[in-house]
Amino acid sequence: MIKRTLQLILLLVLILNPGIRGQSVYPSKGMNGMAATAHPLASAAAIDMLKSGGNAVDAAVAAAFTIGVVEPDGSGLGGGGGMVIYLKNEQKSWFINYYGRSSERATELDFSSSRDNSTAKAIGVPGTVAGLLMAHEKFGSLPLKKVMEPAISHAEYGFPIDQTLAKLILDNIDKIMSDPATASVFLDDGFPRMEGEILVQRNLGKVLRLIAEQGRDGFYEGELASSFVEGIRARGGVLSEKDFSSYQPKLTVPLQGTYRGYDILSSNVPQSGISLIQGLNMLENFDLAASGHFSESAKTLHVMAEVGKLTYADRYQYLADPDFVSVPVAGLTSKEYALERFNSINQSKLDPPRYRDAKYGDPGMFDKSYRKEPVLDEEPAGGHTTHLSVIDKEGNTVALTQTLGLFFGSGQTVSGVLFNSAMTNYSYNSGNVNYLQNSKQCRTSITPTILLKNGNPFLVVGSPGASRIITTLIELVVNVIDFGMDVNEANLAPRFYSQKFEDYLHVEAGIKPEVRAELEWMGHTVKVYEGIDLFFGGAQMIYVNPTTGEYSGSADKRRGGMAIGY
Amino acid sequence: MKNRILTFVTILILFFAGSTLLAQKFEQPVLISSAGQSADVKLVKMLAQRQSLNATTVLMAKPEDLTGFRTLVIVPGFSSKGLGAAGISQQDEIDRIQSLIKAANDLKIPIVLMHIGGNARRQGQSDAFNQLVADNSKQMLVVKQGDEDGFFSAISRAKNIPLTLVEKIAETAEPLGNLFK
Repeated sequence: MIKRTLQLILLLVLILNPGIRGQSVYPSKGMNGMAATAHPLASAAAIDMLKSGGNAVDAAVAAAFTIGVVEPDGSGLGGGGGMVIYLKNEQKSWFINYYGRSSERATELDFSSSRDNSTAKAIGVPGTVAGLLMAHEKFGSLPLKKVMEPAISHAEYGFPIDQTLAKLILDNIDKIMSDPATASVFLDDGFPRMEGEILVQRNLGKVLRLIAEQGRDGFYEGELASSFVEGIRARGGVLSEKDFSSYQPKLTVPLQGTYRGYDILSSNVPQSGISLIQGLNMLENFDLAASGHFSESAKTLHVMAEVGKLTYADRYQYLADPDFVSVPVAGLTSKEYALERFNSINQSKLDPPRYRDAKYGDPGMFDKSYRKEPVLDEEPAGGHTTHLSVIDKEGNTVALTQTLGLFFGSGQTVSGVLFNSAMTNYSYNSGNVNYLQNSKQCRTSITPTILLKNGNPFLVVGSPGASRIITTLIELVVNVIDFGMDVNEANLAPRFYSQKFEDYLHVEAGIKPEVRAELEWMGHTVKVYEGIDLFFGGAQMIYVNPTTGEYSGSADKRRGGMAIGY
Repeated sequence: MKNRILTFVTILILFFAGSTLLAQKFEQPVLISSAGQSADVKLVKMLAQRQSLNATTVLMAKPEDLTGFRTLVIVPGFSSKGLGAAGISQQDEIDRIQSLIKAANDLKIPIVLMHIGGNARRQGQSDAFNQLVADNSKQMLVVKQGDEDGFFSAISRAKNIPLTLVEKIAETAEPLGNLFK
C-alpha cells in the first residue's frame, strides 16, 4: 500500500509538472531492462516484473494489461493487437496476432462506418485477452496473478488522469455520452473528468480479477461472455457466444526483411509489417544520408513521400486476411520488386500530380505463389492505438501494439469492458480484398517491429496513429540508421505523412519553411501542423548500443508516456 | 461640516451609481460559438441548457448570425479533429473569429469567454484562440486549471476584464447563469 501511494504521488508530480511531461526530454538508460510505453504506470508495471525475476514477455504482458487501464482510450480488454517476440538466447522469434475477427454473423449487419462507428454494430470479436494470455502461457515465467496485479490495482484504486487522456475525453465527448455505462466512467456530474482527477474503474477491475483467477475461460466462456453477448445484442450488435468461445489468437513467425544490413522482424499479414519492409526496401535504393535529412531536404522528403504513396497503393490493393485471400508476401517484400517500384518515382516532381492517381504495382511478377485477386479501393478511416517496447537483461525483446480501433473504440461499455470498433476497418466494397466477410480479420496498420544486428536486438519500435503508423515507422528507422540519431532525437524529429488516399502532404512545422516551399513547387499540397502533433503517432522506442549493450529508451512527446530503464 | 458630509455622501452615491452604470450587462438571447472547433462548445451548450438560458449554438458562426442576439459566448480551444471535420484550416478559423468579434463590437454585443477545457486547451495552437477571444471579451469564465500559469488572470488585470475562476466544468453553470440575472 505504501509503495502504491508513493507511486501515485510520484505520478501526480510527473503528470502535473509540465516540464516533465513526455520523457523525450529525459532519455532513459539501463543495462538490465527497459520499458517504453504510453504511460508511466505501464512502464513501471513492466519494470516491476523484470525486477521480480520475470522476463520481457512477463513485463510486456503486465504493461499491456496496465496500459488498457491507464490509457483506456487507446486499448484494453475489448480490443486486439499484435506482438513480436524475440528470444535472444534461442535466437528465435514469434509473432502473436491477436487482432479481433468479425462475427460469424457479421454480414447480416446493415453496417455503415460513418453512421454506426459509435454503436455496438461496430464491435468485432476482441482478441487482447486471449493474445496476452497466450504470450504469458507460452513464454512468461511469473504467475499470471502477479503479472496482472498492477492492472487490477490501478483499475480498482484509480490513477490520476493525465493531459493526453483528459484531452481525448474532451475530444470524444459525443461518443462517451452516447453510452451511459461509458459516461459513468469518464464523466462526473455529466461533464468530463479533468487532468489530475482520479479515475476509478471498479467494474473493469472485477473483470481483470476474474481473468487473473480463471484465465482465458473467465473472459471468453461462461457468465461474463454471456453478459457481453447479451449487452452487445441488446444494442444492435451481432456477436454470439460462439464468437467469443471460438476466438483463438495466431502464433506464427514474424514477417522478416532487411534494411542496410539490419534484420527486421515485424507483424505478419494482415498487419502492416509488410508495408514497413516494402517501404524500407525501396529506400535502400536511395542514399538518404547524402541527400540530407527530410526536415532539411525537399528532395529527401519528396522521395520518401513518394515511397509512402506507392507503398500504400500496394497495401490497399493486396493486403488482407490470408485465410480469405492470397497475399503476394514474397513479391511485396522482394528487393527486386522494390527496385522496380523505386525506379518509377520521379525524383524532381510529384508525378502523377494527384496522390490518388498513384497506381499499385505487380508484385505477382516476383511471387510465384500469388493468385491474382480482384481489385480494390480505399481503406476506411483507421484507428487509434498504443504501442509498448520492452527488453530484459538477457536481451529478450517484445514489440507490442494493441488497439480499440478508434479512440474509445465503439464507445460501448458492457460489463466493465469498453469494446472495439473493428468493423470500421473493413471495406464494404465487394471488389476489395479487405471486404467484410464472416469471421474474417481486417487489414490493420499496426506494425510492432524489432530490428536486429548480428542476432542482437538493435531497435524496438512501434507507434499508434492509424494509417500514419507506416510512414512514422519508416521515418524513425531511417532517423536512427541513415541519419545516426539517438532514439530521443529520432523520436522528436519532425514528421510527415503521405499516402495514396490523401490530398495533402502532412508535415509538422519542424520541416523547414524553405523545404515546404520547395515541396509545393514540386507539386505537393502541404498541410502544416504547428509544433508536434499526436496525429503523427506516439512512438515508444528502445535502442541497444551495439558496442556497450546499454539500453536507451524514448517515449514520444506527442503522447503522454515514459521510458524507464534500470 | 454638514456641507462636507453631504458632498462626500453625494460623491459616494455618484461613484456607486457610476460603477453600476459601467458594469457590463449581459442579456439574452445568447449566441454560443467555438473558436478552434473543439468539442468544448457542446459542453457549454449543455451548461446553458442547465441554466435554462435562451441560447443558440452555431459552431462556425459568422457576422450575419449575430442578428437578434444580445450576448455572444465564445468557447476557445483548438482541435485538429474539429477543424478537419469542418474542412477548414487554423487560419480560416482565426479569420472567422476576427470577423465575428469585429461584428459583435460594431453591434455592441458583449462577448463572454468560456474556457472550460483546462490544460487540454492551453498552450500550443489553443493559445492563439484563447488570446484573441480573451482580449476582446467583457467577461471571462474559466476552469481554474486553464489559468494555472496566470494566462487569463494577466489579461484580466491588464485589460480590466472581470474573471471568474471555478474548479470544475460543471461549476461554470451557475456563474454563467448569474451573468444574465
